[in-house]
Amino acid sequence: MKQALTLLHRLSAHPDSRCWYVSWNPSGTLLASCGGDKAIRIWGREGDSWICKTVLQDGHQRTVRKVAWSPCGNYLASASFDATTCIWKKKDNDFESLTVLEGHENEVKCVAWAPSGNLLATLDEEDEYECVTVVNSHTQDVKHVVWHPTEELLASASYDNNICIYREEDDDWECRATLQGHTATVWGLAFDRTGQRLASSSDDRTVKIWKEFPNEAGQGDSSWKCICTLSGYHGRTVYDIAWCRLTGALATASGDDAVRVFKEDESADPDQPVFSLAAQVTKAHDQDVNCVAWNPKEAGLLATCSDDGDFAIWRFQEEE
Amino acid sequence: MSAGSRLENANPTIFQRSGERLLTATEEDEDAHDPIDDREIFDILSINDPEHPLSLEDLNVVEQVRVKVDDAESSVGVEFTPTIPHCSMATLIGLSIKVKLLRSLPDRFKIDVQITPGSHASEEAVNKQLADKERVAAALENSSLLEVVNQCLTSRSI
Amino acid sequence: MAADSSLLLSLVEEYVSGLQDSKAKDTATGVKDGEFTVLQLVEALGLSLTSSQPHTRARGVQLLSEVLHECYGNLTEREVEVLIAFYENRLKDHYVITPSVLQGLRALTKCAALPPGSAVSMLRSLFQDVHVQSLMLAERSCVYSMLINLMETREAELKGLGADFVFGFVQSMDGERDPRNLLLAFQIAKSIIHRGYDLGKFTEELFEVTSCYFPIDFTPPSNDPHGITKEDLIEALRAVLSGTPKFAEFVLPLIIEKLDSDVQSAKLDSLQTLTSCVSQYEHKDLAEFLEGLWTSLRREVFQTSSERIECAGLAALTALTSCLSRSVLNSDSEDSLSTFLDLVLTDCKHHLCEPDLKLVWPSAKLLQAACSASSRASHIITAAVMPALVEQYSSRTQCSHRRTLLEVVLRFIQSVTSSQSSENEESMFLAFRQSLCDMVFSALSETNSSLQITATTTLTSLAQQTGLLLDADIELAVDHLTRLLLTEEDEKVSVAVVSCAGALAELHPTIFISKFIPRLKKEMFSEPMDQDNNREASEKHSHHAVRQQCLSALAAVSIRPSVVQESTPVLLEVLSSAHAGSVGFSVEEVVLACRSLQKIAEQVQDTEETGRCFHELIIPRLLSLALQAALQGEGSSGRRSPLVEEVVLSAVVSVIGTSCSRLQPKLAEQTAARAVSLFLDGDVSFLPDNSFPSHIQLLKQPQRESWSQLQMVCLLMGCVCSLPRSVAVPQIEQLLSQLEEMSCTCTHPLSYTSAAKCFAGLVNKQSQGDSLDSLIQRTMKRVCGELDSTSSPTRSQAFTLMIWVAKGLLLRYHPLSTALTDKLFSLLDDADLGSMAAEGFSLLMSDSADVLNRGCHADLRIMYRQRFFSENSAKLVQGFNAAPQEKKSNYLKALSNIVNKLPKQVQITELPALLNLLLEALSCPDQGVQLSTLSCLEPVLIDPPPALIQQLEALFSRLLALVSSPTMSVKITSLRCIHALSRLPTHEIFPFRARVLKALARPLDDKKRRVRSEAVLARGEWYLVGSPGGSCLYSHERTNENLEQH
Repeated sequence: MKQALTLLHRLSAHPDSRCWYVSWNPSGTLLASCGGDKAIRIWGREGDSWICKTVLQDGHQRTVRKVAWSPCGNYLASASFDATTCIWKKKDNDFESLTVLEGHENEVKCVAWAPSGNLLATLDEEDEYECVTVVNSHTQDVKHVVWHPTEELLASASYDNNICIYREEDDDWECRATLQGHTATVWGLAFDRTGQRLASSSDDRTVKIWKEFPNEAGQGDSSWKCICTLSGYHGRTVYDIAWCRLTGALATASGDDAVRVFKEDESADPDQPVFSLAAQVTKAHDQDVNCVAWNPKEAGLLATCSDDGDFAIWRFQEEE
Repeated sequence: MSAGSRLENANPTIFQRSGERLLTATEEDEDAHDPIDDREIFDILSINDPEHPLSLEDLNVVEQVRVKVDDAESSVGVEFTPTIPHCSMATLIGLSIKVKLLRSLPDRFKIDVQITPGSHASEEAVNKQLADKERVAAALENSSLLEVVNQCLTSRSI
Repeated sequence: MAADSSLLLSLVEEYVSGLQDSKAKDTATGVKDGEFTVLQLVEALGLSLTSSQPHTRARGVQLLSEVLHECYGNLTEREVEVLIAFYENRLKDHYVITPSVLQGLRALTKCAALPPGSAVSMLRSLFQDVHVQSLMLAERSCVYSMLINLMETREAELKGLGADFVFGFVQSMDGERDPRNLLLAFQIAKSIIHRGYDLGKFTEELFEVTSCYFPIDFTPPSNDPHGITKEDLIEALRAVLSGTPKFAEFVLPLIIEKLDSDVQSAKLDSLQTLTSCVSQYEHKDLAEFLEGLWTSLRREVFQTSSERIECAGLAALTALTSCLSRSVLNSDSEDSLSTFLDLVLTDCKHHLCEPDLKLVWPSAKLLQAACSASSRASHIITAAVMPALVEQYSSRTQCSHRRTLLEVVLRFIQSVTSSQSSENEESMFLAFRQSLCDMVFSALSETNSSLQITATTTLTSLAQQTGLLLDADIELAVDHLTRLLLTEEDEKVSVAVVSCAGALAELHPTIFISKFIPRLKKEMFSEPMDQDNNREASEKHSHHAVRQQCLSALAAVSIRPSVVQESTPVLLEVLSSAHAGSVGFSVEEVVLACRSLQKIAEQVQDTEETGRCFHELIIPRLLSLALQAALQGEGSSGRRSPLVEEVVLSAVVSVIGTSCSRLQPKLAEQTAARAVSLFLDGDVSFLPDNSFPSHIQLLKQPQRESWSQLQMVCLLMGCVCSLPRSVAVPQIEQLLSQLEEMSCTCTHPLSYTSAAKCFAGLVNKQSQGDSLDSLIQRTMKRVCGELDSTSSPTRSQAFTLMIWVAKGLLLRYHPLSTALTDKLFSLLDDADLGSMAAEGFSLLMSDSADVLNRGCHADLRIMYRQRFFSENSAKLVQGFNAAPQEKKSNYLKALSNIVNKLPKQVQITELPALLNLLLEALSCPDQGVQLSTLSCLEPVLIDPPPALIQQLEALFSRLLALVSSPTMSVKITSLRCIHALSRLPTHEIFPFRARVLKALARPLDDKKRRVRSEAVLARGEWYLVGSPGGSCLYSHERTNENLEQH
């Protein structure tokens, strides 16, 4: 088997600072990065290289922690430690600040668009969701939220070591399931293409795969169970995880400076899946890797970013 | 001094300082490589205790035996011992230690700061906070918190 | 008289009605000149004084008062009597007149001719008719001045007023608010108390009227022209409050109350006032407040966060205890000292035994403060505390606890020493001798180094207690010290052991002579091979380290002459064995033996006995050994004696130089004379082991050059160049000419350099005059001739002689030095010698170790560096501008060598003119130039001149570039400069912060630890630049926030 990660590009995205997060636009043509220098940069391919198309400064007073594209690709939301969320609208080749959402008391650490594009979830230190409603399920701050790929269902990862699943009920968002199993802060979450399975990454240096099972009585809430744990691969915190919707490959970003890709053994029992390490780059970055993101359109194209201020683009080579 | 601002531990036991590191011939040799060792990290940590006008070393908050460094593996672990088991300053002391190391060590190092096992009532909670780089980053962008940390790190020029 | 009277009337008229103030002065002049009398003036004033208009009357009195102010000295008693009667009467008049009346009365209080009784009558009227506090500030001041004047001259009379005087004063100052007046009022109150005025039933009133200002809370307005400080007021009030035991019953409760205050300065003032009070009190004054005072003092020491308050509290406790100790001598009532100390012991003693020892320090400090008050207090406290401490010590197993306890014991011994009234008194630790010795010896046997160090200090303190330790204890101590010296690897312990041995040897020389020195000798002379077989314990400890310890210990114990007699032969034996090769001593060990001899020469008392030891025994022996080694040369065996090594010789030079410079000038003169005849005439008669050939010629170049003999000239330098200037060197002319010859022609560097230094050292001390001038001119001609002939093979020699002679002359401001230094400047362009010339400036400006320094009694003017710089800096700048590119670096090097050695004050004033040159020097590729420029910039950067601020961009670029220099020392110094720049005003340097932080990230990972440490310090400080909390003071409330999320 010949599988590997090949470095295609490495760029200093946020010099003298850290790059916290990168995000592909839905068409996979643009990449947004954000970091400790309070700026957001939009990168695009030009010929054989990646260049910075525009820099969004002055939107935030502190670190920009995460950025998220709307499903239509025309809006960009950014979450910052300055307790605000900015919505940017794409206009020709530039972006303009559309609105600033205030309402968090503390640092906003994540933002995500619902698949319909109508709902935007942001969260701050004290587990609050904005816009539609405020939900309090975690006992500590929330590290990450993701939307289900097709349903209006939200998953959140928290400092309290748990994952919560929310669904709308009578105009209110309620926690329908709490996934317990990690022994330290949960940093990353990713749904698979179908939304039936959820991968999580944690400070306990493991990755877990969770699957939704219908309730045995056939009614009420379904339940989520951990069907697989990947341990022994990561040397430090696993900060992020990404599940490629095109290939099913699972990529992780870790505080041990490495990027790893796992593939599922397709012959195994789907309720007891087996994942194996398909490729890894141990010194992918000079410092902690904070984020991994699969390109939504081009299979095997992976973006990563790090505390060293760089982002990198890799090619994951499938077996010949 | 109002009751609210009374010092928590008014009379900490004071330990003798370990004195300046003595220069060796190797350290004077232009070509020799001096690895980063435990003592060097320990010397970096001569931080002011926010409650007492003494350094952390004086109070045995940080001891050399509780510093572990591996230069080749780029890792540093420091355990600190708050002066009394319920000391509310523990997080702040830990944060100061962490910040001092972040400012003083090459980027390649992975830094773990923890409370000496069994020496503090909320050991786990403090350790978890100190290990969370997102919280640390956010804390350092909070100017009043940064101010206190900086004050702990101000070298005492007498 | 008629004319005069009309003049007087017109003056009065013009002053009173015409409101011409200047007429007062004219009137006064008239009185002084005798044109009219004061009484005539009163008469002339008649009408105005009886006017119905108060303002007219006031104007009239004002004229009289102003005249009196000028002329009070000339008044007769009769006149004064009349005037006083007049003024007393006027006090009852309209209030607008009062200010002038008081002014007049004040003038009268200064009269020498004040009739008896008038002081009393004046004051009676004043107290009766005037309400002082309704007066204006200046008038109140006038009243206080009157009181002060009268108290100066009429004390007996005022005392006759009895308590009325005090009452009058109390009423006058009651409610005073002005700080200037308060100072006067406090002065009066102090005099009342100190000069024994009768306070009568007004003691409490006097206390109340002054103590209401306690503690003083006063902040002088900015630009206060009077310059009164809070401290002035505090001192003045304290003198009042602590002035008499009669106040005790009022002031002590007040102090107890104010100690409860939250204001730190109030606490401090209260404690200091208490200390001052009790020094005047007897025990009965304190009796009923002791408990309250103790509670407050204990609280302050236990709970304070301020060192100043703690110190003040402890000082107050000492004063209190010493008051009680004093009083007990003439009291047969209850023993208040023991009662009080019982209180102290009850509260403190148990803390010495608590398991966590948390409050051990404050408790011990309190007990020690009481202990140091008197020997009776020491007896009571040590008797109560020592058994507990001894028991604690033996029951503890943790080293840190044991050390804490031992340190507490140590402080007790030290505090007792300070209270012991006479040296002959029996030590109070006599009863605990055995247990204290056990404690110290057990601590010395521990492996914990800080415990061992504390034990050595304790041992020293115990030994200083008169008659405490027995000979057997000292012998045991010597055994322990010897063991530690021979086995201990921790350098700090060794240093402590050596210094303890030194202290003990001064007190007990015989035991050190009989036990310590022989033991050390045995250890040093044993060969490493024997040791490995016999002794396991010291295997880890290298034999060299043992010898090193022994050598430094031998020096440390050699303070008493009797010890020196025993220790120096051992050191000399090290040298002779090393020379003979009978025992294998390394060159380094031989050098250390010489250093120990030098240290002894430095520290011994200059007695005839030690002088003989050095001049009659040690120096001849050293010369003899060196000569044997030199004659033996490389010998037949091929083995070289360590005594021909340059490092050894220069160590020997230091021994000889130190002895000649400070021990017995008469004997030193003899040593010099012997050395001269040895070197000039080959006279070896004074050397021991005399088996030398008879035709030795040490200064003459032999046919086949023997460098080992030639370099002996450095020893000659040691003998003749360190003498006091009053001592004459024989055969000086012949000596100088042979030295000149040798320094110009010899090819062995150490030899010709030593000859040049010796020549310069002698020239420096020659008396001014023609013979000196012609000598210098002759030498100069020869040297310049050599230097001008570029093909000469001995140019380096000529250069060396020139630079040393230049230095010798420059130091004493000899006018001929300029010709030589100018020559040096011209050599900066020389193809071969240019870089040597640049380095030469460093030699000119710095102190040399073995010659031409203050220790050698050289003729050395204090400002010679500044003078040289100011006379030559322009030459340097011109030379730099004119020099070809490839030679410019020599000028920069010369410049940095000079500037580097200037005092900082001079550097700062001279720097602006040279700044461009120095910045240029930083970009010079020569690392030596970079380094010396950096080290001369570093001190200037701490408080940089404005010229530098304007060049920050250039400075930062160059410094940050030097941070990645390949050379460690350049990196270190440039990092220090960058560190120093972080202290500049934030607004000037903030623009560079990001650049600096980025550039300093790299040296954090340098391979050299010293570079990393500097980078850590500098980067840490730069992080604080412009960051919150970086510079301002810490406030405690802020810490409530932490990483908890809200």
